[in-house]
This record gives sequence, C-alpha cells and structure tokens, in this order.
Amino acid sequence: MRPTIAALSVVALLASVPAAGQTPARFYNVDTEVRIEGTIREIVLEPRYKGTAPFLVLRVEERGGARSFDVEIAPSWFFGQDVHGGERVEIVGSLAEVPGQAPTIIARELRYRGEIFKLRDKRGFPNWQGGSRAKRGIRRFGST
Amino acid sequence: MSLLSPGPGERRPFVLIQRGFCIMIKKMRRIVPVLLLSAWPMWGGTVYFSFNQHATENLFQTREAVSDQISAFTLAVDQDLSALSLLASASYSIFRETSGLSFLAADVGLDYLAPAGPKSAFYFAAGGSGQFYRQAYAPFSSVGADLLGAFKTYLAPSSILKIQWQGHYAVFRESLFDFLSQSASLSIDKYFPSRTTLKADAAWGYKYFLHPFLPEPIEAQTEPLLASGGGTGGQGQGSSSGGLGGQRYQGGSGFIPRYNSGGGGSGIGNVSVSLLAAQGLGDVVGLSASAVRQWIVTGENPFQSIEEFYLVQNPSADAFSWDGHQLNARLTLALPWEISVKSGYTYSDKTYPGVDSMSLDGVPLGSVRNDRRDLVETRLQKDFRRFSVFIAYSYVDNSSTDPLFEWKSHYVMGGFEWNLPTARKGGV
Repeated sequence: MRPTIAALSVVALLASVPAAGQTPARFYNVDTEVRIEGTIREIVLEPRYKGTAPFLVLRVEERGGARSFDVEIAPSWFFGQDVHGGERVEIVGSLAEVPGQAPTIIARELRYRGEIFKLRDKRGFPNWQGGSRAKRGIRRFGST
Repeated sequence: MSLLSPGPGERRPFVLIQRGFCIMIKKMRRIVPVLLLSAWPMWGGTVYFSFNQHATENLFQTREAVSDQISAFTLAVDQDLSALSLLASASYSIFRETSGLSFLAADVGLDYLAPAGPKSAFYFAAGGSGQFYRQAYAPFSSVGADLLGAFKTYLAPSSILKIQWQGHYAVFRESLFDFLSQSASLSIDKYFPSRTTLKADAAWGYKYFLHPFLPEPIEAQTEPLLASGGGTGGQGQGSSSGGLGGQRYQGGSGFIPRYNSGGGGSGIGNVSVSLLAAQGLGDVVGLSASAVRQWIVTGENPFQSIEEFYLVQNPSADAFSWDGHQLNARLTLALPWEISVKSGYTYSDKTYPGVDSMSLDGVPLGSVRNDRRDLVETRLQKDFRRFSVFIAYSYVDNSSTDPLFEWKSHYVMGGFEWNLPTARKGGV
C-alpha cells in the first residue's frame, strides 16, 4: 500500500472514533426496543435535536387506548410521505421515558397501508436521506 | 471521436469538464472512497451504497430487440446542518453489450426545511447534476441545474394540501436537446376512517427546447431521413447528420430531428389532473388505483421521431411530450420475516403531438404517433439487519402507430441497498 493511502486510512480511522463515542441526550437504545400498534391522533413538525431539521412526530394512541406515545419519525418524512391522522400503524422503536414528558419512541420501523418503511437499521442508525428532492425522471421498471 | 479530443465545433464546456473529470478520477479514485466511507461519520452524515443488476431483452425499446445487462453502482452521502441538508451522489452504470451507453451520473444538492408552525412547512431544494456517456452516446451527456420549492400543510389531521414548483435547466453535448422546463402542482387528499385515502392532483408543465432544429441543408434533401427499422438494432444511422453542434448522434434508431432555417426554440406545455384512491385491508394489504389525464395545451414536440431507451435519460421523450391518459393499479403486501411485495399494472394511451408515425423505411404515414402500453411489474424485497435485497420483474407490451415502436420486453432486476453505519445523529 502506498504511504499516502496508508496515512489517509489511519487519519480516517481516527476521524471515525469520535463518532462512535458521541452521547446525545437521547439515543437509540436497542435494549428498550418495543413494538406497538395504534392510531395516529396528531401530526406535528417539531425541533428535536440540535443540528438537525425539525422532526415529523406522530402522537400515537396505543390500541385499546391504554397509552399514548410521541413517535419520532425523521425530518425528511414531512415532505417525503403523506401520513394522516386516524391511520393505523405498527411501530418498532426504542422507548425513551423522561419524567414529566410523554413517553417517546424513536421509530426504527413503521408499517401501515400494507407497506414496511425502514427508518433505521437494527442498531438504530438512520436510513433516511435528505428530503424529497425530485430525482431525474429515468423510468426504472421494477421500482413500483 | 475521443472524449478528450475536441473536434471542430465541439462544445467546449463538455470537453473541459470531461477532461478535468478524467484527471480527477485518476488522481482521486483511491483516496476519495477512503475519505468518504470513514471520515463522513465524524460529521454525522449518512452514507448509502447500492448495487443493482438489470437484464433486459430490449434495451432500445423498438421492434429490433437488443438484449443487454446493466450493472449500476451508487454511492450517496447526506449531511445535515441544522435545517439544511447537503446531498451528493455518484453512480456508474455499466452496459455489458452496448458499452457506449455506460455512463457516470453525479448529483449535488441541498435541501432546506422551514417550518411554518407545527402543521406546515416550506421546503426548498437546489441542485446540480451531470451525466457523462461514452463513445457514440456522448451526445446524451448533459449538465443541469434544478430548483424546487414546495409548501405542505395539514388542513386537518386527516387532510393534506401540497403546492410545488420545480424548474430545470439542462445543457447537452448534443445541443438539439438543450432545454428549460418548469412545472407546478397542487394536490389535496383526505383519509377516511374506513382506511380509504382519496387524493386529487392538478399540474401544469412547460418545456422549452432552446434550439431543437437543424439548419436547412444547402442542397435540398431528396431522400427521406432513415428510421433504421431495418435491423441495426439501435446502432443504426438514426438521424445522424453533420453539424449537430459538432457532434454526430449515432445512438438509437428512432430519433429524427427537423430542419428549420429559422432556427429558434420550441415549447410544449401541458396540464394534467389525476385521482388516486387507496385502501388498506387489515395490517398486511394495501391497494391503490389511480388515473391521470394529461392534455397538451400549447406547442408540440419539435422532433419528427422520438425514442425511449431503457434505464437511460431520454432527452426527446419524457413527461412533457405526451397527451393522453394512464391508469394504474397497485398491490402492496407487508409479510412476515421482513418481506414486502409490490405489484402493479399500468395501462397508458399516449399521443405525441408533432411526432410522425413513420414506416420502417422512414416515410411519414400521415398520422401523429400514438402508443398504447401495458406494463406489469412486481418486486419482492427482504430486509436484513444492515441491508436489503430485492428482485423485480417487469413486462411491457407496447403497440404503436409507428411500426418501429411495436415491441414487447421482459425485464429482470436484482440488487441490494446498504446504509453504512454512521454517526448517531438526530434522535438516536
């Protein structure tokens, strides 16, 4: 391996270390993962984290009316998807309970209308990309 | 003609861009991936990689079927800076048989989301893009810029109103295709407790080709321009003629420009309305049906014959070029074990104002081209822990008043999509 490449690899490796060590106030915890089914009662766009766009947040009432949750979806979803109040959803995500606040689920997977939407991988890393910037209009069969 | 050797009259910006690009690729091909894949997480960005493999029986989508296999690699990165999101992507598509169609595509852009209260937001996006083809298809190479503005609001929790405007400017190596376009749309939907969603959409679009005509030849054209249905399989004479901005287009067999001594531009405008009804059945099944009606309200296509390749941008045929209607039905299934199925059927009846139906010998038949198409497609996807894989199949049966465009084809696709593990950003 050329010295330049080797040096760059070391720099890049070192650069990636701080990322793994970041500890934001609320993070995706796989140990608190839950699955709930419920009905969307309210939809809001809220600032949630410093350094990110506002999040689409769903207020979801669990089936049977037992509990209500704030479900954090993703910033880009506000324009990327049309979610409605009254729709039934199944959510998999990490439950975070903060005293004095509604329990919050950081959504990893959302199922509704017979479709599965992956918002994060199973370790909680985001899958979403940007907004709804229109893509070039090349027809790709099979993308139905 | 070599990409790096500008010919007489060849478009200088493309030569410079491609020369610079080749040098950059040579210098950076080992360094850039290392930097992107490992340094990006430090900034909380997202890195996305996908690989798709396509097989088609009819690459050029004419009666002269040419099969091919295409491998497409895409690398994209996304970086959030507060409400601003920066995006960049590069993809390379390799055509196994028709190697001249292999192309590199790159996009850069930024998005800005501006909340207007808890129920509404404005969205703005700007970007630049480029596609660079090889050899005979270099005339398709283009650079362009996009602008997008949108507003979305919840009129009620179960009803959404959206307004959107989009503008696009593109310059091609073959200057006949240069255009400026814009479109605007308004949509409103309503979700009902019966799990039914109804949506109505109205749209307007206008595309202006800046200089789509060939100069009149000095000597009168005595032979008809040849639409090479006679077996060149997309590699034929087509409309090639000297002086196309210094570039001879020797690509497909279906494209024929017009002569006009006056030169100048040509615009085509449309309005459309669409309706969609979607119904959820249980927690597994989703059904939808939609209909679109589009009218050409001003101008017509400036080209005598247009073509539509598979998986390649088609500068002479796009959403602006037709008048007619389209019907679609779709089924989605969310199955156990992280498996999803999407299947659909689309029927379209499209007339292309300004485009002639022509015989296989290139003689106009005296009617405007009309295509009726049946499209069946299905896609099966399985999600794993860190990536997704899919297979998909499509079948198209296209009938046309132009016999060159009487064709059928099967398509098979497969691939995977992988989001590389990156920093824990926003809400993680």
